[in-house]
Amino acid sequence: MIQLSDAILAVVLLSVLLSLGSNRLMALVKIMALQGIMVSLTPLFLEHHQNLEGGAMLLFQVMILIKGLLIPGLLFMAVKKVSIKREIVPIVGYHASIFIGLMLILLSAFITDRLHLSMPKDHALLLISAITTLGAGLFLMMSRRKAITQVIGYLTMENGIYLIGTALAKQTHTMYVVEFGVLLDLLVAIMIMGIILHNINSAFDDVDTALLGQLKD
Amino acid sequence: MLELVFILPILTGIMASFLPVQLGRGVLVVSALLHLQITAMGWFGTLDLASTSYFKTAPEGMLVLLVTSFIFLFISIYAVSYMKETEMDNEPIFIGCMLFFLAAMSMVALADHLIVLWIAIEATTLVSAPLIFLNRSKAALEATWKYVLICSVGIALALLGSFFITLSMDLGNVHVPLTFSSLTAVAGQLDHVWLKAGFIFVIIGYGTKMGLAPMHTWLPDAHSQAPSPASALLSGALLNCAFLGVYKVHILMHAAGMGDYSSNVLIVFGLLSMVVAGIFILNQPDYKRMLAYSSIENMGIIAFGVGVGGLATYGAMLHLIHHSLIKSSLFLSAGNILLGYGTKLVNKIGGMARLFPKTFGTFFAGFAGISGFPPFGIFISELLIIIGAFRSERYVSVSIFIFSLILIFAGASRIVMRMSFASTDQKVLVEEKMMRVVPSFVLLLTSLALCVWLPDQLYQTIINAISVIGGTVNG
Repeated sequence: MIQLSDAILAVVLLSVLLSLGSNRLMALVKIMALQGIMVSLTPLFLEHHQNLEGGAMLLFQVMILIKGLLIPGLLFMAVKKVSIKREIVPIVGYHASIFIGLMLILLSAFITDRLHLSMPKDHALLLISAITTLGAGLFLMMSRRKAITQVIGYLTMENGIYLIGTALAKQTHTMYVVEFGVLLDLLVAIMIMGIILHNINSAFDDVDTALLGQLKD
Repeated sequence: MLELVFILPILTGIMASFLPVQLGRGVLVVSALLHLQITAMGWFGTLDLASTSYFKTAPEGMLVLLVTSFIFLFISIYAVSYMKETEMDNEPIFIGCMLFFLAAMSMVALADHLIVLWIAIEATTLVSAPLIFLNRSKAALEATWKYVLICSVGIALALLGSFFITLSMDLGNVHVPLTFSSLTAVAGQLDHVWLKAGFIFVIIGYGTKMGLAPMHTWLPDAHSQAPSPASALLSGALLNCAFLGVYKVHILMHAAGMGDYSSNVLIVFGLLSMVVAGIFILNQPDYKRMLAYSSIENMGIIAFGVGVGGLATYGAMLHLIHHSLIKSSLFLSAGNILLGYGTKLVNKIGGMARLFPKTFGTFFAGFAGISGFPPFGIFISELLIIIGAFRSERYVSVSIFIFSLILIFAGASRIVMRMSFASTDQKVLVEEKMMRVVPSFVLLLTSLALCVWLPDQLYQTIINAISVIGGTVNG
């Protein structure tokens, strides 16, 4: 079981690096679907979450559906509608981005090491990948111009926070109502961003956030 | 069933989204009235919560709930006339979102569970985004994008902070429900390092929503682009809700014996917000943005007052009430001005005293109130905060505080004077109407009345809210 959770986390890390290095938006959406599924599967293979009840199983199913299917589906439609294929001139180039991603992994390993948490021993990799995902999400939001890539960055960041939550909190999965609320908020957030995205596209003929610069002091 | 306070607006909001426009307006006002009634019943204890596992009637929450409910009623009355005048395209969406917004804010006020509070605050962002976007102009689009993105990222960090607080509970081997009330009771046993980390992330997260500098960048855009009733609600009610999140964690820090640390953080953020607002207000070409920066300033004052502690905390709570009343009144007046002149630029506006005498009255009185002139409540609250700061011997901070107040007064008075008295050949586009003037008047009068006579129950609630962090009236 433990090796399986490590394998899943490795896939999450890879998906983060891939998302940093890919310039095709369709590929990005597919990567996000993979990442969403992997992230929602992670808690199932962790030791302290073994005793799952019916409610928890249901929650995980809903979660996989939302993170792996519904949200990528919404993004997919958004990419189709705005009819752009790729991020043209990112603020930070792709090779540099991947390099920064690798640095983030090192940094996260360093942070995890310094935290001296009295955690179950197999959690080191979990925390490393969680912090990396969070950092990469933030980086993606800052280093890309297209609005849709920023949404994807936000999603990556949320995945990272969710992983940190599973890594740190032992009691997270006792209140399904609460978990479900968080998930619902995320879903609505992506939907609203999608709607604005569509409107940015029709108002400016592009989804470049550099065009959003009228309001300032 | 005090939960009705957020269930009712959700139901009526759904209803209003499908009803024809005329009926929808009626639903808006009736829901506001009912909401105020339920809130009042909660205050007098005739209506209690059905379940206390996620919600609780904390004194600070009840205070915010009352303020929200009260100003929402008058904003809804104003909104009815405003909607008639502007012939909005998406009126059902506007009414629906206003009601959902009210529901989300009421939920924030009652939330006791860490994550439920987070869900509710995130919900306020999501349901208010369509309100800002209503005009569908390019500028509104930009403001909404910034609002949703910056606030979502900020609030995501607050979720991280909430997880850290949960971790501090696990490390301290505490097994209680994840609610503020039960955590505060066992705060001493929580792991201090992680609680501190949690506090930092929460104040960055909810501070973004509250408009504390340097995370305030979305606020002037959103508040200036939203239709005026929505701006009034954003400024008068939403910022308080975000403040409530910060305040609850501050109480937790205080109970854990780290009150000094969190107080200092609040003071720094508060003063920074005031200085930033003062700088940007000086040459502000847009009067709605001016009001937005003034909101940043006032949130800074509240954070500062809570941070200083003692008498200043009482001042901060009074400030919260009066700021909501006066600022929402000002935004409503600004809505009349925008309708009347058709522009947000100060330079194109003049002669308000002659062309719009009633709006001029509310706007000018509101300006006097917000700058801290005596007949209004902000005079008292700012004075109490300054006295409190002197008593706790924070001389440097209090000088920055007073300096920023002067800076903001200088900037705002130039704008208001120009708008009121400068000569102009502008034509009046839309006449002012009683229905759009009376709400602003009533809000101002309430602030005035609360200075002379503070109801005993209100006073007691404020004292209950601040006594947990050592705030008193007796210094």
